[in-house]
Amino acid sequence: MPENDVIEGLDLDTYKYDFQDEEAHVFRTRPGLDEEVVRQISTHKNEPEWMLDFRLKALKIYESKPMPKWGGDLSGLQDTLEEIYFYVRPQDKMEHSWDDVPEKIKETFEKLGIPEAEQKVLAGVGAQYESEMVYHSLKKEWDEKGVIFDSIEDGLKNHPELFRKYFGTVIPTADNKFSAMNSAVWSGGSFVYIPPGVELDTPLQAYFRVNQERMGQFERTLIIVGEGAKAHYIEGCTAPVYSTESFHSGVIEIVVEKNAHFRYTTIQNWSNNMYNLVTQRALVNEGATMEWLDGNLGSKLTMKYPSCYLVGEGAHGNILSIAYAGDGQHQDTGGKIIHAAPRTTSSIISKSISKGTGRSSYRGLLQVHDGATNAKSNVECDALLINETAKTDTYPYIEIDEKTASIGHEATVSKVGDEQLFYLMSRGMDEEEAMAMIVRGFIEPIAKLLPMEYAVELNRLIELEMEGSVG
Amino acid sequence: MSNVTTLPVEGATEAIHPGAVEARASGEPEWLAERRRHAWTIYESTPMPTTRLEEWRYTDLEEKLDLDVLHLGSTLARPDEPESFPGGLRSAMEEDREASGHLVLIDGAVVHTDIRPDLAEQGVILSSLRDAVAEHPDKVKQYLATVAVPPEEGKFAALNAALWSDGIFLYVPKNVRLDLPVRVTRWISEAGAAFFSRTLIVAEPHSQVSYVDEILSDDLDAQTFTSSAVEVITQDGAQVQYVAVQRLGRGAFYQSQQRTLAYRDSTLDTLNVNLGASVSRVDLNARLLGPGSNSDMLGLYFGDEDQHFDHNTSQDHVAPHANSDLLYKGALDGASRAVFRGVIRVHERAQQTDAYQTNRNLLLSEDARADSLPNLEIAADDVKCSHGATVGQLDEESLFYITSRGIPQERAERLVVMGFLGEVLARLPLGGVQEKVTRAIAAKLANHG
Repeated sequence: MPENDVIEGLDLDTYKYDFQDEEAHVFRTRPGLDEEVVRQISTHKNEPEWMLDFRLKALKIYESKPMPKWGGDLSGLQDTLEEIYFYVRPQDKMEHSWDDVPEKIKETFEKLGIPEAEQKVLAGVGAQYESEMVYHSLKKEWDEKGVIFDSIEDGLKNHPELFRKYFGTVIPTADNKFSAMNSAVWSGGSFVYIPPGVELDTPLQAYFRVNQERMGQFERTLIIVGEGAKAHYIEGCTAPVYSTESFHSGVIEIVVEKNAHFRYTTIQNWSNNMYNLVTQRALVNEGATMEWLDGNLGSKLTMKYPSCYLVGEGAHGNILSIAYAGDGQHQDTGGKIIHAAPRTTSSIISKSISKGTGRSSYRGLLQVHDGATNAKSNVECDALLINETAKTDTYPYIEIDEKTASIGHEATVSKVGDEQLFYLMSRGMDEEEAMAMIVRGFIEPIAKLLPMEYAVELNRLIELEMEGSVG
Repeated sequence: MSNVTTLPVEGATEAIHPGAVEARASGEPEWLAERRRHAWTIYESTPMPTTRLEEWRYTDLEEKLDLDVLHLGSTLARPDEPESFPGGLRSAMEEDREASGHLVLIDGAVVHTDIRPDLAEQGVILSSLRDAVAEHPDKVKQYLATVAVPPEEGKFAALNAALWSDGIFLYVPKNVRLDLPVRVTRWISEAGAAFFSRTLIVAEPHSQVSYVDEILSDDLDAQTFTSSAVEVITQDGAQVQYVAVQRLGRGAFYQSQQRTLAYRDSTLDTLNVNLGASVSRVDLNARLLGPGSNSDMLGLYFGDEDQHFDHNTSQDHVAPHANSDLLYKGALDGASRAVFRGVIRVHERAQQTDAYQTNRNLLLSEDARADSLPNLEIAADDVKCSHGATVGQLDEESLFYITSRGIPQERAERLVVMGFLGEVLARLPLGGVQEKVTRAIAAKLANHG
């Protein structure tokens, strides 16, 4: 779709994806969370005993941990948590071909542009509708290569040993309150296994979608990238707007084995009533590379700090973070890098844009352990403020316990310069076009790393958001 | 602090209790006695900071400070006889002859004050804080523990406001400019004691003064706590340079809470040099309250053995069109550790702010550690703000260059460290300070290698 067609004729006062289907769930738990709800979820999923025990233990840990007092404002969350349904199951069986997907759900996906994308480069699509995978396809040759791209439930069912070996090892249940919550009630998400030496040229994609008022979504993803393998996983989110607040808390665990290369891309565009509290972490082994490309555009409050634990010699971690905070939004994002082995290297680049009453915060941790000799890391954070009510914060934590480390951190805050605007406007652009161009230039270093459709969509979103920002 | 559990108040001890506050208040004007009592109630109701608080994340007081065993240090003034002063104090003072005035504080009391007669005639006051309370209440009452470091600032601010024994009052009237610095030298001799002092500096519009405060001691064989509250008020168009040099011996816990208030078109620069003490904690809050105000904030530290330094700074831009520029640099040898936590806060109306913050650390040994948390909180859009932090080891290229000129490795290392730290001192060239601090660093560096 040519870019300029998109801007015309769109009513900016309504959220782009603000449509909702009739609720057609098959089963849901009652609102709120307690032991009975957890047991129900496990029973409904027909899980082995160990998983039920895992969930129940996690519930206890969740209940014992206080609500975080740092980061964003979570004061309204307790009430929300009493009202939401922790588990909703829309339909019973998994679909493997597009034709089998029910019409109603297809329409939703069409509005999100999935079929269009599939016709192009999509290799495997695992789209999450409410709490379960409803649609799943995987290219034939990958089946032959032994690549697994399943719903997390099928991962547990069909690959129990592999699953149990890694599940909960990267992010322990007790890591934080919300990882504990997720461990108790997780539902949906992906299970990915790339065998050693397998290189995938086209990305694996999963679309997530929440479509029921007051419904939480607790996706759980486990990805294992075998030795020397190479792959890229893309997760995109969008949700319709509702008046009451909603909640999303995912846990993403990734193991990157020796000399493997993995990139995980998220474009998060939840509607502006969503609490989005996600824990995502990768264990990066010897000579391996992990890249997080994290785009946060939507939600009411996002707290998300993708992290790389560099545990093998020469491991490399890369975090690229882009945040956009519009009216009423708070993006509290960033990243964590732990250098726990010699000659590990890392970089974090964060770009944020705050507009209206939006607030974007960079929160990062850079740690070099004693003995992780010759570690190198560089962090750059740039914040752009579009108008005078917008806010930005930077909270980097730098903890260095190793003499031979070489660590740098830099951050800048600026507004869109009058000279820049004047220059572009003297070339015939109106102010909004000029503003959008400046913002596009600002995020360009990250946008260029996205697959084409995503880069186009990101640019579209930025243009939409910039309209009405001047004057 | 296991014994504390038997007492009703966290941080109340055999020595630190309401009776001690009353003892300090006796004979004082009622307004001051009331302020002490008020401060004590805040102390009582404020929990002891723990590492769960962001500001104390890397300094664990349970491990670093044992209030229970401290007694209150002597507040009796020794005779003003320089020849009877401890050797370390005398040698520090000998370098400070050029001055507008001197003040000497030993343990809990001021023992000596002098001010050049022509300045006294122009209304400049340099006095012990206790005397100032009696002689200049109109000038002291307004500012003492009110707008700058009130007890509400926290546990230690409250304790200091309740128990301070003496301190410094420096007052510079309108349009008076001092060409030479005011020099304060403090000496701590009593091990195992707690000392509480305050500094109040008021610079009236368009006045100018520089102030150098040095605190020293020999090594102390028991933990010794020195608490200091520093209040600097720089009125419209005034210029103040505040320098604090800490060269306490091992065993000392140095705690200094400083706030500077800069009004319209004023300049208020600070330099904190920390070389001594076992634990050193400095809280510095610079408030840019008037348009056109400017603050340079400099810091330098050099650690060895098991020294622990914690700097907690904030740059509060309340008014528009103000500038602040912070540079803290440190080198860490042995098993020493440094924490830097700084925040630039640009308040909503503070448009046209220029604020910068840089923290650089040099790790000289395997066991040294540096933590750096340079924060930004920006609520105005038309600003230029940036911060940077680095941690690294000695620059190999510089070392190679120097050693290739025939200079031995160890000496070359010292040169590179001196060059690294010297940048800070060069930014605030104040008579004698640069040379003195350079010598003190060189003495510490002599042990490196």
